[in-house]
Amino acid sequence: MQKVEDALEKGSDMSNHGLVLEDDPEYQLIVDCNALSVDIENELVIIHNFIRDKYRPKFPELESLVHHPIDYARVVQKIGNEMDVTLVDLEGLLPSAVIMVVSVTASTTSGKPLPEDVLEKIVDACDRALALDSAKKKVLDFVESRMGFIAPNLSAIVGSTVAAKLMGTAGGLAALAKMPACNVQLLGAKRKNLAGFSTATSQYRIGYVEQTEIFQSTPPALKMRAGRLLAAKSTLAARVDSTRGDPSGNTGKAFREEIRKKIEKWQEPPPAKQPKPLPVPDSEPKKKRGGRRLRKMKERYAITDMRKLANRMQFGIPEESSLGDGLGEGYGMLGQAGSGKLRVSMGQSKLAAKVAKKFKEKNYGSTGGATSGLTSSLAFTPVQGIELSNPQAHAHQLGSGTQSTYFSETGTFSKIKRI
Amino acid sequence: MSYLLTTLTTKQEVDSIIRSTIDKVLVLRFGRASDSVCLLLDDVLAKSARDVSKFATVALVDIDSDDVQVYVKYFDITLIPSTIFFFNAHHMKMDSGTADHSKWVGAFRAKQDFVDVVEAIFRGAMKGKLIVSCPLPPERIPKYQLYYKDV
Repeated sequence: MQKVEDALEKGSDMSNHGLVLEDDPEYQLIVDCNALSVDIENELVIIHNFIRDKYRPKFPELESLVHHPIDYARVVQKIGNEMDVTLVDLEGLLPSAVIMVVSVTASTTSGKPLPEDVLEKIVDACDRALALDSAKKKVLDFVESRMGFIAPNLSAIVGSTVAAKLMGTAGGLAALAKMPACNVQLLGAKRKNLAGFSTATSQYRIGYVEQTEIFQSTPPALKMRAGRLLAAKSTLAARVDSTRGDPSGNTGKAFREEIRKKIEKWQEPPPAKQPKPLPVPDSEPKKKRGGRRLRKMKERYAITDMRKLANRMQFGIPEESSLGDGLGEGYGMLGQAGSGKLRVSMGQSKLAAKVAKKFKEKNYGSTGGATSGLTSSLAFTPVQGIELSNPQAHAHQLGSGTQSTYFSETGTFSKIKRI
Repeated sequence: MSYLLTTLTTKQEVDSIIRSTIDKVLVLRFGRASDSVCLLLDDVLAKSARDVSKFATVALVDIDSDDVQVYVKYFDITLIPSTIFFFNAHHMKMDSGTADHSKWVGAFRAKQDFVDVVEAIFRGAMKGKLIVSCPLPPERIPKYQLYYKDV
């Protein structure tokens, strides 16, 4: 690690020369720097785990409150072996809300002070972590300054800082080029803050791309789309750069223009609506619908069998009528001799079934559960519907004209009107 | 006077427009630009001309010009404004409860009234009728008195 750092210092001195684009040793150095920054990150993770494990007996909750390894290391360094965290000044290290949470949890923590040797080890590890972090920063700065030569197209779109960060996180230009655009969008995205804060305002899963100039200048409503667009075009630019296809950076500039134009187009107001002229009458035929629902609806108004019989007449036989002697409504074939019934029962007409059901529900509801077991449901049904008739009795009735139908024993009314 | 509607001054223009509108109702307004009722009617016509454009054409005829006096006499136009409807060069009559079925006298109360009338004429004409009944209720129909030899 030391060796590469020295080479790094040398490299940054050399950067002042006006170098030709395809400079292989420089480029190799940059590639090494990228690999180095990835290694540093890995080291940092290991050190962070180490510090965390060692510090857990003292302050277990801190690891869930402060996620970032560098911040964690700094906080641990500041707190040290102190039991009363309120005495420790954490200003500038953390946002004030987090400081508050930390001090509150520290007051109720189940930790114990650490022995001296463990504490020494922890402090050493923290120093190492911070040193590594500053080294990584230096590497990134260097890469950034050379970005114009490494990846001109990419830096034309997103700017050299962000390009350097992206390359650093991806682990090199080739690795960045291999990533799909959706991953590039999320490079460097911070993990969600779980400190009890509401997630209603949590940001939209976007990484280093957020820091680009284009993104910052788009209106908030279009930020999501702009972010996606930026990530996509920068991936393309990175691919161009990784194969050194356009060393001048013109492709990148073209992409940038394209992005700018697209964002402008999104912000255009929609075209004004012209009132349409009315359509020609009867030119569009009405859409007739079909299906089960329509059929059931039609059944309610269909001609019933009773009405059909009443409409027809037998040849040569005068029909009966309601007022007698040809006055009033004619009955047609309804109740003619030979059919055996004066009143044709409706059978199970669909509408009657529905009405019967409704009636039944209503009446059952009103009587409650206090009915005796001997009552039959037939007593509650409405006029038509279920009828138990003795076919023989009716046949006799028709034959004898003397029997009065006014006070009949078997039949009831001869003319039923629907209410 | 509206600038959207064509104004016809010569007999030839009227002839050509009657002959050239095919399968569309032709609405000819006979009137003067100076009359206030005429202006009302013109306003309604101009606003609804576009809506009705798929099945009707609207045009204005100036009765002060000499050329069209033939038509004024033929249709017996005495009250201003009068609107006459044609369909495929046939003169369409409409029974609106007034004395004269061959023309519409007066202005329309609303744009929708005019559109309803034109639609009724169109439907009747497509069915092959030469006279249709007016879809408007009587309160929306302008009333007028016809004098016979100044009686």
